[in-house]
Amino acid sequence: MSRRPPKGEYIETDTGNKVSRKANLVGTQNIILGGRTVIQPEVMIRGDLTRTAASASSTGGSAPANNTAVAIGRYCFLSRGSLLRPPGRVYKGVFTYMPLRMGDHVFVGHGTIVQAASIGNNVHIGHGVVVGEFVIIKDYVRVLDGAVIPPNMVIPSFSIVGGQPARVVGEVPEGGHETFELRDLYKTVGNNPQPINA
Amino acid sequence: MAPLTPYTYIQCPCSDTSFSPSGAPTSDDKTEPEDDDRTFDPRAPRANYSLYPLEYLLYCEDCHQIRCPRCVNEEIVTYYCPSCLFEVPSSNLKTEGNRCTRSCFQCPICIGPLVVTSLEAPPEPTLLAADNTAQPTGPYVLTCSYCNWSSTEIGIQFDKPNGIYQQLAKMSNGGKPRLTAKEFRERSRKEKEGDPESPSSPLTNSDVDAELQFSQLKAFYQSQLNETNPQAAAGLGSLADLGISSPGSLSRIMSMYTGAGHGASHKQSRGRLPVMREARTLDEGFQEADLDDSALIEKLRASAFEDTASTDQRLAQQPSLPSHHPLLFVDDLRPIPYLLRTKRSKRCPVCRHIISKPESKISNPRFRIRLIAGSYIPTITVRPFHAPESHNVPSGLRPPVPAELWLAPHRASQYVLTFQNPIFEPVKVTLAAPAATPGRFASTVTVLCPQFDISANTDMWDDALKEEGEVQLQLQRRRAGEDGGPAQPEPGKIWERGRNWVSIVVEVVPASLRLDGLPPGPGGEEPDRSPLKEDEDVLEIPMFVRVEWEADTRDDVGSSTTTRDNKEAREKRELAYWCVLGLGRIARG
Repeated sequence: MSRRPPKGEYIETDTGNKVSRKANLVGTQNIILGGRTVIQPEVMIRGDLTRTAASASSTGGSAPANNTAVAIGRYCFLSRGSLLRPPGRVYKGVFTYMPLRMGDHVFVGHGTIVQAASIGNNVHIGHGVVVGEFVIIKDYVRVLDGAVIPPNMVIPSFSIVGGQPARVVGEVPEGGHETFELRDLYKTVGNNPQPINA
Repeated sequence: MAPLTPYTYIQCPCSDTSFSPSGAPTSDDKTEPEDDDRTFDPRAPRANYSLYPLEYLLYCEDCHQIRCPRCVNEEIVTYYCPSCLFEVPSSNLKTEGNRCTRSCFQCPICIGPLVVTSLEAPPEPTLLAADNTAQPTGPYVLTCSYCNWSSTEIGIQFDKPNGIYQQLAKMSNGGKPRLTAKEFRERSRKEKEGDPESPSSPLTNSDVDAELQFSQLKAFYQSQLNETNPQAAAGLGSLADLGISSPGSLSRIMSMYTGAGHGASHKQSRGRLPVMREARTLDEGFQEADLDDSALIEKLRASAFEDTASTDQRLAQQPSLPSHHPLLFVDDLRPIPYLLRTKRSKRCPVCRHIISKPESKISNPRFRIRLIAGSYIPTITVRPFHAPESHNVPSGLRPPVPAELWLAPHRASQYVLTFQNPIFEPVKVTLAAPAATPGRFASTVTVLCPQFDISANTDMWDDALKEEGEVQLQLQRRRAGEDGGPAQPEPGKIWERGRNWVSIVVEVVPASLRLDGLPPGPGGEEPDRSPLKEDEDVLEIPMFVRVEWEADTRDDVGSSTTTRDNKEAREKRELAYWCVLGLGRIARG
């Protein structure tokens, strides 16, 4: 209540995205937000790192305007200081970036760096995590705080991973699926946030 | 120390009824859990095996009982590789083992994933486009992108980028080809014939690794058995699939009984006692023990500590390694093929009904059946009464990072327990907690409202519609409390109430952790003054929860409408269990 900036801390879009004015989004035309996604202050999304032209011919059928760098689904939550950066590699002799895709209900913790190729639905990535390049995270995965996921790792569904380098340390129990839901968390952030329910 | 956020663990009724710390066997039946005399001790060593967070518990609808991961019966639905996510048919498991036989490997140094990369430098991008599009050619190596290990360090390169598992199986460290049993036989035959084309060196011990030796020994004794007793050999032949259900074992057992039971055949077998020869030569699998460790010692002397493999690295290796001496050095390690993972369904141990069944497809994360305890028994959440109000956290800092809360000894502190009812019937909850927590440091506990009702859960749609209003209500209530001075929890009264939840207050007076302040034992003996054990400073309250509700009698699918009309067909249900509330650590001093 006390020191609310006059314009509101967040920009709220028609599709329900809440983007902090202090977030640093580069190349916004290449960033797709699915809606109801929260982007907190000091978050950086590198939308400028798109595919280089060479690959456009190889993909063939895709539309020419398709140079999405970061695609984010619904109800994602990017905590303060996190970074989303598309992964890059040498492909057919040319260095190119590949798009970073993120499903629905993905939580990214404070100061976490994500360079994954794909992240599924209902994924919780803790604080201070490094997700290496071209990592594939499937659905219902929990990444513990401070984990370092080595590049090219594939994490199957219902895994709990942690450690440096990260390894599968456990399995998400059947009853734990609902804890990945981010609808309630979405409501607690914004220009008129609601209290967190007990 | 990791911050301790308040937690709730629930005891599965499958665990033994040895509540008493003395460990005396109790004959009490689980049907009388309301036994007041004994309280559950969360610090008892056995408690570790019976306490679970709610998410880990399942619920059997037929037995009306909680089931934990320890008591359910698991059945494997699918095997798959966690790296390439390919399903492995169970027939392959028998022949190929429990590891991925594609190209999925883990780094032997850091267990990160390995990728196949070409050793050849990528073509210059300035060259003609036709050259650029050409796929890189071999040789290929496995490299770890985490620790930069590469299979060149153990002298292994591959000709093709796929089928690495098969290629690796034919190579020993250093790039020397490994002989298969067939190749070995071929070579030894040529040697005996004095074939001039035979490879330069004669076969030695070092050409035979553990796996080859095993297959040779197996083949040799197989042939011995065949010679001495063809009947029995038929049974022993299938050593590969041991197990009482396999036809091989069955026929072996049959031949044991029928062969030795009757007089005539008994004599016969006596007449020619099977004489079995032991393996004698290298191609029969015989190897002289190499007792000369001087080379190893010399190597160990010349190498640094980093050159030796750590215990973790050795444990991660495949058990059947082609090695002659115990694994000591980093250059003996081999890439680890990924262990397969499974999808499992779970059955109730009592009634055998399936209580959890995932979709068999690997790519599908859904479940066909998923009876979780969270949708049958109330969720209990704990938070400190005087915690900084969560809505005062700046929204930029959400979700709030949990801060460690220390409990001051001898000072009463209050906690709010919130019970959320997941079922569509109103429930009556009765709580019981011992006045003092078990253990050396007995904190006193008072549950201010041990009995209350919670209204029924409603549909998800109602939830969405009502939510806005409810939040407003809640806020109003809080504000009202603020206006009329700080609201005080009263004994016997519910603190807060919502649509399907109720909050009550629990008051605790934490004990002091000072060892000299310990009261003497019941017989006046000296108290245990040993130093503080691990986690002994955590304040844990055992609490017995009894939930009662009225439910429709068990109806078959399809007849639910008829029973709903019939109000008589309701029965009283009751579920009772122990749970443990972990509140926080007691401050020392």
